[in-house]
Amino acid sequence: MARAKLTTKNLAQRIDLEYFKHPHPLRRLRFILSVAIPVIALLWLGWHALARNDRIYSGGRMSASHAVLTARCSACHVAQVGAFSARASDQGCGTCHDAPLHHANQIFTPTCAACHAEHRGHPRLAVTADVSCTQCHADLHTTGAATRFTTDITRFIGGHPEFAALRPGSVDPGTIKLNHAIHLKRNLRGPNGPVQMNCDDCHRTAKPESRFRFGSGDAHDAPVNLQAIPPSMDPSRAYMAPVTYARHCAACHGLQFDPRFQEGVPHDTPDVIHAFLLQKFQQYIPNHPAELRVTAPNRNLPHQPIPPAVRVLTEQQWVALRVAESEELLWRKTCAQCHALKFVANAPLPAVAKSNITQRWFQHAVFNHDTHKLLKCVECHSGAPTSQETADVLLPGIQTCEKCHRGGREAAESRCFECHTYHDWKHEKSVKGTFTLSASLRSN
Amino acid sequence: MRLDRTHRTWLIASLIIFGVSAVIYVVYAESSPAGPSGGSAIGLAFGIAGSLCMIFAGLLAARKKVPVWRLGRAQAWMRGHLWLGLLSLPLILFHGGFRFGGPLTSVLMVLLIVVVVSGLFGAALQHYMPPVMTTRIPMETIFEQIDRVRAQLLAEADEMVEAVCGPLNFQNATPVPGVRSSVATATVVTTDTIPLCNFYSREMRPFLQHERAQNAALSIKAKAAGIFEGLRTLLPAELHGTVKNLEDICEEERQLRRQMRYHHWLHGWLMLHVPLSLALLLLGCAHAIMALRY
Amino acid sequence: MSASQLVELTIDGRKVSVPAGTTIFDAARMNAIEIPTLCHQQNEKPVGVCRVCVVDVGARVYSASCIRPVEPGMVVKTADDGVKRARHTLIELLMSDHPSPCARERQSGDCELEALAKQEQITTARYAPRASRRGPDNSSMSIAVDFDACILCDRCIRGCSEIRENFVLGRMGKGASTGIAFDNNEPMGESSCVSCGECMVSCPTGALTNKVVTQTAIARTPDSEPVALEELQELPFFEGVSGTFLSLNRNAVVRRHFKPGEVICREGEYGSTAFYILEGQAKVSISSPIAHVKTKGAIRKFMGKLSSKLTQRQNDQREEETAQHWIHIDAPMDLNYDNPVAKLGPGDLFGEMTCMSLYPRSATVRAETACTALEMLRNVLDIMQRNKTFRARLDQAYRQRALDSHLRSVPVFAELTDEFIGGLRERVELLRFAPGQVICRQGEAADSFYLVRIGFVKVSQTHAGGEMVLAYLSRGEYFGETALLEDTVRSATCTALDHVEVVRISAEDFASMTKQFPGVRQKLQQVGQERVQMNHETLVMINSTPLDSFLKQGLMEAQSLLLLDLNACTRCDACVTACADAHDGVTRLVREGLRFEHYLVATSCRQCLDPLCMVGCPVGSIRRRNSLEVIIEDWCIGCGLCAENCPYGNINMHPFNVFTDVPGMPGQKKAMVKQKATSCDLCSDFAEPSCVYACPHDAAHRVNPRTFFANLLKQGTSTTPES
Repeated sequence: MARAKLTTKNLAQRIDLEYFKHPHPLRRLRFILSVAIPVIALLWLGWHALARNDRIYSGGRMSASHAVLTARCSACHVAQVGAFSARASDQGCGTCHDAPLHHANQIFTPTCAACHAEHRGHPRLAVTADVSCTQCHADLHTTGAATRFTTDITRFIGGHPEFAALRPGSVDPGTIKLNHAIHLKRNLRGPNGPVQMNCDDCHRTAKPESRFRFGSGDAHDAPVNLQAIPPSMDPSRAYMAPVTYARHCAACHGLQFDPRFQEGVPHDTPDVIHAFLLQKFQQYIPNHPAELRVTAPNRNLPHQPIPPAVRVLTEQQWVALRVAESEELLWRKTCAQCHALKFVANAPLPAVAKSNITQRWFQHAVFNHDTHKLLKCVECHSGAPTSQETADVLLPGIQTCEKCHRGGREAAESRCFECHTYHDWKHEKSVKGTFTLSASLRSN
Repeated sequence: MRLDRTHRTWLIASLIIFGVSAVIYVVYAESSPAGPSGGSAIGLAFGIAGSLCMIFAGLLAARKKVPVWRLGRAQAWMRGHLWLGLLSLPLILFHGGFRFGGPLTSVLMVLLIVVVVSGLFGAALQHYMPPVMTTRIPMETIFEQIDRVRAQLLAEADEMVEAVCGPLNFQNATPVPGVRSSVATATVVTTDTIPLCNFYSREMRPFLQHERAQNAALSIKAKAAGIFEGLRTLLPAELHGTVKNLEDICEEERQLRRQMRYHHWLHGWLMLHVPLSLALLLLGCAHAIMALRY
Repeated sequence: MSASQLVELTIDGRKVSVPAGTTIFDAARMNAIEIPTLCHQQNEKPVGVCRVCVVDVGARVYSASCIRPVEPGMVVKTADDGVKRARHTLIELLMSDHPSPCARERQSGDCELEALAKQEQITTARYAPRASRRGPDNSSMSIAVDFDACILCDRCIRGCSEIRENFVLGRMGKGASTGIAFDNNEPMGESSCVSCGECMVSCPTGALTNKVVTQTAIARTPDSEPVALEELQELPFFEGVSGTFLSLNRNAVVRRHFKPGEVICREGEYGSTAFYILEGQAKVSISSPIAHVKTKGAIRKFMGKLSSKLTQRQNDQREEETAQHWIHIDAPMDLNYDNPVAKLGPGDLFGEMTCMSLYPRSATVRAETACTALEMLRNVLDIMQRNKTFRARLDQAYRQRALDSHLRSVPVFAELTDEFIGGLRERVELLRFAPGQVICRQGEAADSFYLVRIGFVKVSQTHAGGEMVLAYLSRGEYFGETALLEDTVRSATCTALDHVEVVRISAEDFASMTKQFPGVRQKLQQVGQERVQMNHETLVMINSTPLDSFLKQGLMEAQSLLLLDLNACTRCDACVTACADAHDGVTRLVREGLRFEHYLVATSCRQCLDPLCMVGCPVGSIRRRNSLEVIIEDWCIGCGLCAENCPYGNINMHPFNVFTDVPGMPGQKKAMVKQKATSCDLCSDFAEPSCVYACPHDAAHRVNPRTFFANLLKQGTSTTPES
């Protein structure tokens, strides 16, 4: 008894003609899932909508400083009255931050968000990409007069001009004559014997309680009352404190003027010195009347009238003579050793050129010595030990910086923001905080 | 759908679109100060393009519901679904700047990746499985009717065995429509037939009846061959025809089970792909609205 | 010699005196002496062929007593040893060839030969039976012929010629190959035999016996009663039928009474009986909606829902749809398309096709007044149909009522004048053909033109490789005109598929018709040319040796296959859903079937060259377009025969909800479900079949198998395993 022969007809007749209309477990499951999963999605959205919490629509994690406002979207996303849109505009940023204009002549002002991308989970919003800067500076134009800045800065490594101070033709404008080489040489003659000076004997950041080896003992400054604050927050560590005579030069470069006195003249303007001298000698001579008798020391000076062998000067004369001698010493030698003195005809006292010691070489960049303290000074300021000219600019050039600030994971930061700021903080206005605690912490 | 020559146009077009978008993206990413962002003009353009691709891909399901409306051939829609669906992934990645973003956008990105990957998986299955099924299941039938056909097989086997062994009073002896009828000639039940009757009642019938009898020896072809060979030794020659028929029925049953398994593979990935894609579209909508708001 | 003259003779020692001219047999019988006979029957002229009745008359040889007249002074010995021995040997010789027990012996136990053999105590013959046997002939409806049991007694011949004067039977052959033949040795069913039964009644052996027809008895219903033999014999169309024969078949006819409004038979039902109305009026109609299934909606409106609606011809003329106005049914008249209702009255016979060929009823007949009808089975109908009187009546009725509409229904003859048709009426011949009988043969001379009245005719051509079917013709169609017009021999063979009746118009009448009406000639020629063209195309399609498996599945027969590429198909059912969507939820395609190569040959209409679906349609509503596409006309009655006939299961019945009138309650309607046959229509309203259009994986293809598999067929190789 064989099974019925297979024909198309009996194969087809096994099939119920309506089979595709009837539900089948597989299709039903797919349908159920196709309904259930979107419903779950809707519920998720709905739940948050009911809780009036728009966190889920956030575009990403907040930066570290704004993280506390994660739930409070309206802190930045201020909805216009009646409008649907609630874009985070500059207005939102402005409730807490002042963002002074970069430059009056800039062609356009980007929005805050253009450079400071929130919702990316960046720790610091200030970390901007180079593009934020190069979008103008790569081909710099201004609305007003032509700019004096380089107009094609594209990036730090290989796209940044040499620092202005080091460009050919720039000199140190300081008028105090200083030869670094001598000061840094071995066996320098010091107040108590040969010394080897170090950079930090003159150059230190403005920490209050430092004592200088070669400073005068009672020099004190630093009026700022800086309590115990962490190094990273202390702006006074960024720049080297100005070099002053009192702290840094006085120990070796005494201002003695006369063997009669041990002290030197005060390091002050010529008229103060003159007054000092006058006072000093005037105080001295009543106590030492014998000095009034002056024996001419050397009588055969060419072209000089031969002075009398013995003279008895009046006190005034003696004071004047002594003051003149002292001033001669001072103006011509002692002071002139460092200062540039200008003698004007008919003016009894010279004019001392302003010292013009540059406090801050980078006008448009920030530099923090404290973060570089791991380095030996001469590593960057390599010119110092050999610099003999005052005019030498001993700043490290961009190539020195480029050695470490190459960018990438294994080098120091080389993006623009590391050294430059966009906002002109000189014109910073203070912003009054408007948030309450509960408002900051509450969601939306 | 098999990828063959007919896809060439789509492939080239997709590659071009991808290439152009990649170039645009690279240029845009490099030149935007804050980096690529979904909300920037180009980012938005990518987002819209990606969304359009996704929406078109999603419309395939709708298109399949009205197969007769002349809205374009099903193959064209399918090709579009495949290629535009695939394109949507890079476009959305460009839109998001390769970032996952916040809660909703992370979910969306994950959904998109899962949907596209499951789609690729399904496409691969659709290449691989049909020829396998064609070769390995010669007695294939319509999947939804497998249970009905199995019932028919059971009835046929019952009939065959009862013709030899006499009425055996099986439960579920309800008439099944469409049974391939075989000529039933009753033979006298003798002691010779007892091995057959026992085998059928104890082993083969449960095997035919219950889908999940995985441990049954009969579910493995080699073992079944051995069992039937043994049965043939026990039975006289005139019953060998019946034994052969029963063996054929077992083979058909095995093939139908195999078909069920293969069909589950071939269609199972849709359980993931379809619901998630619906969720993707829904949440994508929500994202579009809210992202434009904020 | 005067009749009253008496002759004296001695029979078995007794003196008898009989009138002159009496045969010895009669003389013995008159005197109570029995002489056994076989070939002699009282009501027939004696022929003396069997020699069983031989007697010793003192002559050199024994004389056959049934023929030999008495002579004065004859001494007759009827039972002496010699005669007995002769008789015994004769019976033994006859028994040696006799298939004992023969049919008559088995049926009624009255085989005369075997009775004689028993008398003679002959159980086995000593002689070997003849080597070559002629075998049986079962072609007749009512009489079974077994030539091997024939003893050539000629009783049947005499009965047919002398008693009934039908002259159908005769002798043929010589010597040992002598036999009885019907007409020119035709099978009995194909001969001019009228089934009167006289031969069967006359036959002494089992050579001619009454056939046991299945379902010989009609089931008794409360309103039916058996018809008495006398009543039957009184009916004019049983005139000339042997009473014995009628009596044997009496159970196959009943008289039924129908109340007014009662349904006599319903369209689409299967049956096996025909009805003859004795009294009363009945109405014949088609109650299925006269409309075809049309897919509506999507062509005009882009987004409209597709639904399958029933649409009438005037609202939607399809390509090559028949424009005819007549629906041919199984009744003496045709129904008009616009109003498919007609009346039947006393003397009308309907249901012939159902009775003879077991087709479904073609129309619904409902009694209008109280009706009495005879319901009969096939054997009785056969008797009726062969009966001369009945035939004359039927022919008359046909000529008067139906010939006209038949001729007119053929579009080619539409312009014939009433006058001409009136003239034709008496000159046409109504011929009947049995299943398988050839009507005209390819290569023969042409002498007639044929119209099909009942049944199906197969038109085929013989080629070197076999027979190729060109078409199937059903009621109302015609054939045979090509040869007449072109004056050539027949180009094709026309064979009757079942019981066929044709109207034969002679060549002369045909010629005068075409001469008088040149328009007709033109149209005939046009149609003829189209036919030739179509046939040619069909022939051209067969060009290479087909593959075995290709053949086995019947793929050679197909002109269009729906193939599903199994290597790409993901079994998603999109094709089936699309087909169902395009056809109001009823799919015309099933994703099951046999495989060829790596394709699944889906179950969907194949536009076979040899369309088996068309054979048997009771109303002739399934036919071919010239493009060889199957079209189902409006008057499909939903009987489902085509669905059964299709060997691939490609036709499915589609139910429609319709409202029909409630009989007897005018104005009221009731809801019914009517079925219409549907098959794949290739979505001809669209550019592409919906299944192919909707397959997302490009796996569905509608192809012509020969061109698609051309390479494969040329190579002659295939990887399809033989099933």
